[in-house]
Amino acid sequence: MVLLWPLVVPLLGSVVMLGCRDPRLAKRVALAFCAAEAAAIGILVWRVHESGALEGQYLRADGLTCFFLVNIAFIMVLALVYATGYLQHMGAGRFTSPRWFYALVNLFLFTMVGVCLSANLGVLWIMMEATTLASALLVGFYNTEGAVEAGWKYLVVCTVGIAFALFGTIVFYLAAVKAGMSHTSALDWLALFAAVSQKQFDPNLVRLAFVFVLVGYGTKIGFVPMHSWLPDAHAEAPTPVSAMLSAILLNCAMYALLRYDILVSRAIGAEFPGTLLVFFGLVSIVVAGLLILVQRDLKRMLAYSSVEHMGIIAIGMGLGGALGFLGALLHTFNHSIAKSLLFFGAGNVRHNFGTLRMDRITGMGRSAPLTAAALAVGALAIVGMPPFSLFVSEFAILSEAFSHSRYMVGGVFLLVLSIVFGGFAYHLFRMTCGEPHKGLPKPQFTRTEYAVMFIAGFLLLFFGIRIPEAFSLLLREAVAVLQ
Amino acid sequence: MEFADVAAVKVVSTSAVFLMMTIVLLAVSRRISTSILVFGLQSAIITAQVAGTAYLERSAEAWVVAGLIFVVKVLGIPYAFFWLVAKLKSRRDVQAATTPAQSVFIVVVMIFVSYAAVRSYAFGIRVPEDALAASVALILTGAFLMVSRGKALMQMLGLLVLENGIFLAALTTTFGMPLIIEMGILFDVLIGLLLMGIFAFRIRDTFEHLDVSRLRRLRG
Repeated sequence: MVLLWPLVVPLLGSVVMLGCRDPRLAKRVALAFCAAEAAAIGILVWRVHESGALEGQYLRADGLTCFFLVNIAFIMVLALVYATGYLQHMGAGRFTSPRWFYALVNLFLFTMVGVCLSANLGVLWIMMEATTLASALLVGFYNTEGAVEAGWKYLVVCTVGIAFALFGTIVFYLAAVKAGMSHTSALDWLALFAAVSQKQFDPNLVRLAFVFVLVGYGTKIGFVPMHSWLPDAHAEAPTPVSAMLSAILLNCAMYALLRYDILVSRAIGAEFPGTLLVFFGLVSIVVAGLLILVQRDLKRMLAYSSVEHMGIIAIGMGLGGALGFLGALLHTFNHSIAKSLLFFGAGNVRHNFGTLRMDRITGMGRSAPLTAAALAVGALAIVGMPPFSLFVSEFAILSEAFSHSRYMVGGVFLLVLSIVFGGFAYHLFRMTCGEPHKGLPKPQFTRTEYAVMFIAGFLLLFFGIRIPEAFSLLLREAVAVLQ
Repeated sequence: MEFADVAAVKVVSTSAVFLMMTIVLLAVSRRISTSILVFGLQSAIITAQVAGTAYLERSAEAWVVAGLIFVVKVLGIPYAFFWLVAKLKSRRDVQAATTPAQSVFIVVVMIFVSYAAVRSYAFGIRVPEDALAASVALILTGAFLMVSRGKALMQMLGLLVLENGIFLAALTTTFGMPLIIEMGILFDVLIGLLLMGIFAFRIRDTFEHLDVSRLRRLRG
């Protein structure tokens, strides 16, 4: 039952939300469900910590699950609280009413929690595909030309990508059946986990499966060259949804890939999956790093930065080792918080200036000082400047690379980080400095929007200075699953 | 051997050839309605293959899968597509980027590639080479239709062909996945199509055409 609650709450939430026609009521109910979901996840994490991994037939939770669930809970709270303020600026339409927004967001949360909790590789695929379906309407929520195009592209590219993951799942299933597992248990993650080190899996099939799964789930993670949907979807979606896409959806896809990575590493050794992950990670950071420099749209730049950070996480996972895994996992969390803060800032910019074109925005420092400060803090954090937490995780991954004499990997990584630093600094300076435009309306933002941004900024700083004991315990339990 | 046994074996062993024929038909069809009919035919062949396997393996689960596929892919999806075509009132050609001759050439090359690709694997895992090659060819054709046909509806159809190929791969190599997973996958496919239908309406309303190859505002 403990395993079921985090799934039941958002599903129930999405149904109930549709009935809340009054925007004020919708807001309150949404916050209530958000709190209930956070509590459900909290109880589950506590139980796993107390009594070890929880196993069910199709659902299970271990240390790794808990880490990603905590990530979901944090971002969910931040994004929903921000959304309550944000939706007040949004015009009303047939399907753009708050109740549809909250209902779809709850459904989206349901699918992502489902990804993390699934105990079966088939269920994992079904839930992963469901994340695309649940969020496609959210991406096209504004119903403008750009939003419809981005939604269509997102739906088609991700569905095709995920179809490859299904093929990979089948090949892995085939390998398991050929190795002597029964048809019912050959998709069960725990049974597979026990079997991969005892039974003889056909290495060719396992490799083929991993390549397809990597391409398939890699499409959702946003690895270059399968990233084409990502900047469009992030830029056209409503801001709280952009934050959720970037900060939890990509992590969930990474989680799905990690589940395979663990199995494949045990079956045929960590070198093959590790090399592929490092390769895709490097390609992603180099391409995304260069594209950040030439962006004109603030949210598109943030989206490319997500591609870059997913690449960094893939490099950490691919390098492996205690520091590599630790750094990569910590980076998923840190990146989520920093990227949410930046997207919230971008949402304010859009309402204040009516555009996201960075070359048309000047003097933000004077006309909207709090938003400018939030963006500055987020940008400093995302490029990995010291007092903030992303420095810690990036440093861990880098030291793993250099301690194993992977100088090429470490060198490219450092080079890209400096390029990205230049890109962010250049764009941000142009927006914050200079004379503000005349005739802009005074920014009217609710206190909740600022409060959320303040909390996110505080978390970034706090985790950069010291990681709380409870969180580091969570992190260690997650790394234990990976090793 | 009973007559039914012989029939089942023949269905399973020859369906690959018929599937290859539907691939060529898809390549030459110029109208959306023809493509939909060919897709229905293709799904019917796969249904026959599932039913044949079910009969030979004496598996009740496989009968359920065969029934599901028949209802959803042979009846339901083609019907929904015809409804969409009528509702959207768009022009009826598929807006192909390649001529029929070029398309046939490309799919024939794809069939050859599929045979070459499965060669080493088919022997190792002891499955019929033709069926496995047909499934890979279906996947490639689905992808080809998606990139070469401009109409939003044809992209949806390409996706379905691709999905048929993946299903066939699972069927020939492992006699299908567990029933509950199979049903979940089918459900996802259905919801995906429903959403794409919604987006097709939105594309028509916002852009006043359905040619998704002309959607290129978002770049870089």
